[in-house]
Amino acid sequence: MNVITRGIRNAFRNSIRTFSIVVILALSVGLALSMLVARQAVDAKIQSVKSSIGNTITVSPAGARGFEGGGEPLTSAEMDKVAATAHVVSVSSTLQDRLSSTDTNLQSSITPGTLGNRAFRFQRRSEDGTVTGPSTDSAAVPTDFKLSIMVTGTNNPSNLASAGGGTLTLKSGTAFSATSNDNVAMLGTSLASKNNLSVGSTFQAYGQTITVVAIYDAGNDFANSGLMMPLASVQRLSNQSGDVSNAIVQVDSIDNLSSTTSAIKTQLGDAADVVSSQDTSEQALAPLENIKNVSTFSLIGAVVAGATIILLTMIMIVRERRREIGVLKAIGASNARVMLQFMTESVTFTLLGAIVGTIIAVLAANPLAQLLVSSSTGDDGPTHMAGGGGRFMVSFARNGGLNLQGIHATIGWDILLYGLLAALVIAIAGSAAAAWLITKIRPAEVMRAE
Amino acid sequence: MSGDTLVKAVSDVSFSVPEGCFASIIGRSGSGKSTLLSLLGALDKPSDGTITVDGKDITTLHERALNAYRRKEIGFVFQSYNLVPNLTALENVMLPMEFAGVRPSIRKRRAQELLDQVGITDAKQLRKPGRLSGGEQQRVSIARALANKPKLILADEPTGNLDSQTGKMIFDLLHSLARTEKATIIAVTHDLSIAGKTDMTFQLHDGKLDT
Repeated sequence: MNVITRGIRNAFRNSIRTFSIVVILALSVGLALSMLVARQAVDAKIQSVKSSIGNTITVSPAGARGFEGGGEPLTSAEMDKVAATAHVVSVSSTLQDRLSSTDTNLQSSITPGTLGNRAFRFQRRSEDGTVTGPSTDSAAVPTDFKLSIMVTGTNNPSNLASAGGGTLTLKSGTAFSATSNDNVAMLGTSLASKNNLSVGSTFQAYGQTITVVAIYDAGNDFANSGLMMPLASVQRLSNQSGDVSNAIVQVDSIDNLSSTTSAIKTQLGDAADVVSSQDTSEQALAPLENIKNVSTFSLIGAVVAGATIILLTMIMIVRERRREIGVLKAIGASNARVMLQFMTESVTFTLLGAIVGTIIAVLAANPLAQLLVSSSTGDDGPTHMAGGGGRFMVSFARNGGLNLQGIHATIGWDILLYGLLAALVIAIAGSAAAAWLITKIRPAEVMRAE
Repeated sequence: MSGDTLVKAVSDVSFSVPEGCFASIIGRSGSGKSTLLSLLGALDKPSDGTITVDGKDITTLHERALNAYRRKEIGFVFQSYNLVPNLTALENVMLPMEFAGVRPSIRKRRAQELLDQVGITDAKQLRKPGRLSGGEQQRVSIARALANKPKLILADEPTGNLDSQTGKMIFDLLHSLARTEKATIIAVTHDLSIAGKTDMTFQLHDGKLDT
C-alpha cells in the first residue's frame, strides 16, 4: 500500500458518489472531445476550401464577357506581367472565337432549339446564310439555321473554366502543348461524334487544315460541342495577334487573394475587370468559421465545466474528511503526501470520466457535428456516413449554392491523447483548491470532539 | 479569546515523567487536558510561551520539523480511535511506518507483530475498522501508536468510548506496553477509578497542573 494506491482506493469509497461524478465528468469530457473532433474536421475543410476553390482571379477586358459587351481585348504581354506578380502560381489565358458554317466544314453538334432560335433574333442573315447584322424581324428563322461552333484558344488545355467549365478528361490522343502554334485541335466528344472525327482526322477552319490531336470529354454538352486550339494558333488564324479575351489567375493561397487582386488591378488599370473568388469563398467559409467558433467555445466550456465539477467534488471530499486529514498529519504525513493522495483520487475520477467520455465522443461526435452543421447552414443532415474500427467518418450537408460535402470527422490517437491530457489538466486544476484547503487543516483538528 | 475574555487553556505547566512510566492526567471537562496533549504532541502551537519536551524546544521547529518530530517521537491514541475507515487493521498500523520511509516488507512484519501483541489475530488483521468492535479498534489504534517506536505515547481519553470492562482491558494493555516497549505513556482521562491505577497521576485545574 502506498499513497498512490490509497488515493485510487479512496476514489471508490463511496460508490454512488463515484458513479455520479464519473457520469457527469464523462458527459463533460465527451462533449469536449466531440467539439475538438468537429473543430479539427472543420478546420481541415476550411484549409481545403482555401487551397482549392477560393484562390482564383478572373481577368476580363473591361466591359466584355465572352462575346458580349465591348471594349479592347487584353494582350499576352499584359498577361505576362500578371504572371510575374507575387503569389501568382499560373495564368491560364484564353481567346475565344466562333466558327460559322462559312468558316469551317464542321457541323455543330447542338441543335438550336428554343434558346438558339431566340439568339437568332439578334442576327440577320441573307439568303446565302451570311450574317449581316442585328435583325429587326424576330419571327423568321431559316430552317437551315445552325449554331456557331465555339473555339477556345488556350495556353492551358486542361483548364476549361473559360470554355464551359467542368473537368476535362482525354478520351483519346494527347493534348497539345501550352506554347504550340500548330494547326491542331482537341475536339469535344459531341463535336467529334457529329462530324465523325477521331485522332488524326482533319477538318477545315480559317481556310486551313486542322489536325485532331485529341478527343476530350468535359462532362457537359456545351463544352463537348466546342474545340480547343493552342492560343497562339487561334491568335494567328483569326487575325487577333497577341489578343486575350479572358484569363484565370491562380493564387498560391486564399490568404493572398486580396493583395494579389489589388496588385493586378493596379497593373492593368482601367483596361480590365479583375474579379476574385474571395467573396464567394468567404460566403462558403463563413458558416464553417461559425462552426469552428462554436465548437471552440463549447470545447473550452466543457473543459471548464469538468474542472469545476472536480473542484467542487474535491472541496466537498476534503471538508468531509477533515478529521481524517488531521489524523494523517498527526501520525506523521506531510502536506505534500496528503495532497498527493487526494490528487490521485481526483485523477482517478477524471480518468474514469475520460474513458467513459471518450466512448461517448465516439458515439456522439457524429450527431453533434451534424447538429452544428445543420444549425449553421440551415440545410438538413448528412449525405453520407460510414464507420469501422477505431476511426469513423461523417460527411456534412451542403451550404447554400456551394457544395461543402466531404467534411470528415475522425477520432484518431491524437484526439485520444488530447482527451487524456485534458483529463489530467482538469484533475490537477480541479484539485488545486482542495490542495490549498489541505494545507490549512491543522493536526489539532483530530482532537476536536465529534 | 472567548468573546472579550482572554482564556488561558494551559499555563505554566511543567512536569516530569520517567521513561517507561504510565502516567495519567485527570481533570474536569474544560480543564485543558486535550489542549495540553495537543501541545505536547506538537499538534498545535501555543499562542505564547515555549514547550520543552525531553530537553527539546518544539515551539521553535518549523512545519516540516514538527512533522518529523511527530512521526518519530510521538504516538497518539485517540478517544474515537481515528482509524482510516477504508484501510484494514494491518494497513492502518503500517501507515505511520510508510510515512517514516520504512520498507514495505519490514513494515508489514512489524505491523503483524504489534497487532499480535495487542491481541488482534490474523483474520481480524485483514478486517476494516467497520468490522471490528470498539475495543478491537482501540487496540489497533494502540498498535498504530507504537509503530515507529516512539518515546512518548499520548492517549486522549482512550477508554472514553468503551464500556468499563473493555476500558479496563485497554488500560491494562497500555500499562504492560509501557514496560515492554519502554515507552512513556501519558493518558488523559476524567475517569478517576482508572487514573488511580497508573504509575503517576497529575491533576489539571484551570490550565494549571497539580501532582
